Amino acid sequence: MEEALLRAVLFGTPLLLAGLGALLSERGGVVNLGVEGMMALSALVAFAVGLQVHPALGVLAGMGVGSLLGLFLGVFAVSLRANQFVAGLALAALGLGASGLLGKRYEGTPLPNPLPEGMLAMLALILALGLHLLLSRTRFGLYLRSVGENPKAADLFGVSVDGVRYLALALGGGMIGLAGAYLSLAYRPSWTDGMTAGLGWVAIALVILAAWQPLRAIFGAYLFGLLFFLQFRLQGSVPIPSEAFAAMPYLLVILVLALSGRARAPKALGQPFDRGR
Amino acid sequence: MRWELDPSPSPRKVLLTYALFLGLALLGLGLLFLLYGVPPLKAYALLLSPLTDTLGLAEVMRRTIPLLLIGAGLALAFRIGFFNIGAEGQLLMGAVGAAYVALFLPPGLWSLPLMFLFGGSLGALWAGLAAWLRARFGVNEILTTLMQNYLVYYLVVYLVAGPWKGQMVFGFLYTDRFPPEAQLPRLGDTLVHWPTLVLGMVAAMGLQVLLFRTPLGFEWRVLGENPEAARYLGLKGGRLILLAALLSGFLAGLAGVGEVAGIHLRLLEPAQISLGYGFTAILAAWLARGRPLGVLLTAPLLGLILAGGDALKLALSMPFRVVDVAAGLLLLGFIGAEALSRRRLVWRR
Amino acid sequence: MRRILGWLLLALGLAWAQGDKLKACFIYVGPIGDAGWTYAHDVGRKKAEAALPWLETRYVESVPEAQALPVIDRFVKEGCQVIFATSFGYMEAVLEGAKKYPNVIFAHATGIKRAPNVATYMADFYQVYYLNGLAAGALSRTGKVGYVAAFPIPEVKRHINAFTLGVRAVNPKAQVLVRWINAWYDPAKAREATEALLAQGADVFTFTEDTPTVIQTAAKKGAYSFGHYTPMLKFAPDHVVSGQIVHWDVIYIDFLKKVKEGVYTPKNLEKVDYFWLLQHKAVEMGADYGVPINPKHVPLLKKAQMTVGGKKVGVYDRIMALLKDMQSPKPTFDPFTGPIQDRKGVLRIPAGKKATLEELLTMEWAAPGVVGDWPGEPR
Repeated sequence: MEEALLRAVLFGTPLLLAGLGALLSERGGVVNLGVEGMMALSALVAFAVGLQVHPALGVLAGMGVGSLLGLFLGVFAVSLRANQFVAGLALAALGLGASGLLGKRYEGTPLPNPLPEGMLAMLALILALGLHLLLSRTRFGLYLRSVGENPKAADLFGVSVDGVRYLALALGGGMIGLAGAYLSLAYRPSWTDGMTAGLGWVAIALVILAAWQPLRAIFGAYLFGLLFFLQFRLQGSVPIPSEAFAAMPYLLVILVLALSGRARAPKALGQPFDRGR
Repeated sequence: MRWELDPSPSPRKVLLTYALFLGLALLGLGLLFLLYGVPPLKAYALLLSPLTDTLGLAEVMRRTIPLLLIGAGLALAFRIGFFNIGAEGQLLMGAVGAAYVALFLPPGLWSLPLMFLFGGSLGALWAGLAAWLRARFGVNEILTTLMQNYLVYYLVVYLVAGPWKGQMVFGFLYTDRFPPEAQLPRLGDTLVHWPTLVLGMVAAMGLQVLLFRTPLGFEWRVLGENPEAARYLGLKGGRLILLAALLSGFLAGLAGVGEVAGIHLRLLEPAQISLGYGFTAILAAWLARGRPLGVLLTAPLLGLILAGGDALKLALSMPFRVVDVAAGLLLLGFIGAEALSRRRLVWRR
Repeated sequence: MRRILGWLLLALGLAWAQGDKLKACFIYVGPIGDAGWTYAHDVGRKKAEAALPWLETRYVESVPEAQALPVIDRFVKEGCQVIFATSFGYMEAVLEGAKKYPNVIFAHATGIKRAPNVATYMADFYQVYYLNGLAAGALSRTGKVGYVAAFPIPEVKRHINAFTLGVRAVNPKAQVLVRWINAWYDPAKAREATEALLAQGADVFTFTEDTPTVIQTAAKKGAYSFGHYTPMLKFAPDHVVSGQIVHWDVIYIDFLKKVKEGVYTPKNLEKVDYFWLLQHKAVEMGADYGVPINPKHVPLLKKAQMTVGGKKVGVYDRIMALLKDMQSPKPTFDPFTGPIQDRKGVLRIPAGKKATLEELLTMEWAAPGVVGDWPGEPR
């Protein structure tokens, strides 16, 4: 049991970090479907720096790359007011592809001094709390929420909608980058192409499961981590096919959301902001 | 200085922005090729090489088929605000339905129609479930459809590793081969299963008519453009969404039938059945700007990008990720151009 | 007719004469990656190219099964004379392509169907797994050995069974806990499956997955492990005991030489099947190249005892003796020598008999000591 809780936290951590990153920009009205690609590329850069310089610096590098990719998405999603969904999907492909092409030479090399997972897990927890406070207690949080709910009104009050959205994408990208760094520097201290293995998509689902609330994201991420672990812990102990256990986390996520009631998305989510309309 | 919508962009401006952004995308790709020691011009030629011979055209066409079917349905679903990103799962459901009919019902002339009907229905059911959950419990369909992809993935693994595993497959994860009656005819010795292609074209045209020429289509468009107005007019939003979800799921299911009955001729490990068509079709639907007929153009375009990327990886022995990079960059080029061409800078407040 | 044939032969001759290079092309099922199946084939390809100056190679990675035929078309168009298809799933595409291009030589890894211009080949690990099982049985203190397995197909099942027979030969009460991850490549699943097995008391690990994740995870908790497919010692120098290492280059070089010398032609491959084992040097037992057992663990294995034919022998000596035997040109020992019952008590290999090649290739039953779900288990 103790073991299961530990796994829930340690496997839940990359989901939590990536989920918080996506959540942050979504509260500002920008959908980010590029999480998988952003994680992949930052995992690579974090590993490269971690291997050649120092893992702690690798974390920073991963966060930096995540932020840059967030800003890159912003060029399309904020400045150009392009369709956020497809821009994100294209970014996901680009990030995965670029990491695969650029990372070839790092494959097959173990990281000699990995980072402790527990420390990063703690950091993720603090970030979740911090994000909660940021959203609910600070002026920036107020601006961010207003930009996500009613950008027109925010604009009238003199808030720079584009500026806030860019900032949210950069900060969120940093957290997504941290998730990538966790994977390649701590969770599985080496790098291979495709090592994000779909976690970015689960993180996007997590934002919805958490009803766009950072504190609920903690619960959601750990729940998924727990279920993901239990599929292997329970496999074989009961005469149920292993495939049924493998499907269980995804099924329960739907059930939990169905039972927890209607979650309201930020009103302006996914909509480019236009002053003129 | 203001940045605002351009209500009627001139064709010249549109052309220029597209040229600019595609040029930027190609420049980015070219840099990457240079880094890899490949002359960019040769690489660009390879990207377009599928257009130059029948083998390549067949490859483009083969990818077009599922993209066309799924894309047409998604164009409708997105238009009315049902964000179905579970087409991949609905496609797999279609494959399961087709395999059931092919393997467990007596074969005959009815096999193929029944496979399309049953596979499509399973796909519709799978998408309909998400629409029902949204209407009944307010569950966001992005989450549901995404999670459903995983569920059906494991269903297929269970079937091919357990109860449906073939007698003639030496223990590998396949069902037996479908009987000849349950195999789709192909064009010559290519892998183009033309009946599914015809279905896709009919679907795109049919949905276009349905959406723009019927009362139902009118209600759909109102709901999509202005949900408040729809409520004011007394339209039943839940039912309209369910109907669109069922249709898009049905078409994705048909695509799944086509893949197993036209190409694989058996049910197999799910990652091998679809090449991510359910996700790529989202882009086809968006590029078509919510017009099902437009998918007739965008699906082959994406098919060309995918086939061209494959030609690159084969001819230059490059890592398979080159396909992702090429697709990602070119798409961002299209996305940026589309967005920019609709705007203008105005030099006043 | 004869004229056409003449032209064909002439064209073929011209193609061969061109620079005198033989062009061999490889179709890979996955990305080359860092450790797994496709990586090993690519290492084999490179070694072959380095060893044979007249050889030119090409490859294409991540080819889905359904796309193999168009890839074959392209390769033939570009002048490939030998095509290696490295996944079972390519079988029908290979047979179809072979009919379409009767002058091209095909070789199909893990394949079972041949044709005049289609040979089959495989480098199999079951003997190595048995030897690693002996070591695992000796090293486990809890009597629980973990096996993180990819997909329930005969190749994987055969390896689990061979490994379990080895474990039980040392410790007849030991259990091999199997967890399926239903993926060839998925570090997250491999990690969590290993964690689950650790939580259940497993203290020695082996696996079928294309990354060293299981090794890294086990080492964190001080558990022993065995590398898979490529040398993995560097990922946990204190905990990798041994492992299975493949040498596809041995098969590739042998095959291509025979093509070059004219021994293999597109007319006479109907009976050419490589099922190469330790004796052919196509596989190796080792934590690293040339390191059968990590020296750090030799003393432990020397101390451990097992009973063979009523006599006590050291496990280390037993492993080394069997390894030597199976590496010799005429091995006398085979792990699948009867009587062997499955875990349900059904006699699978009668006393005194060895499993036939066909029985090995279609193995569906589970050996006694295997614990866990077993899809497709015969009733």
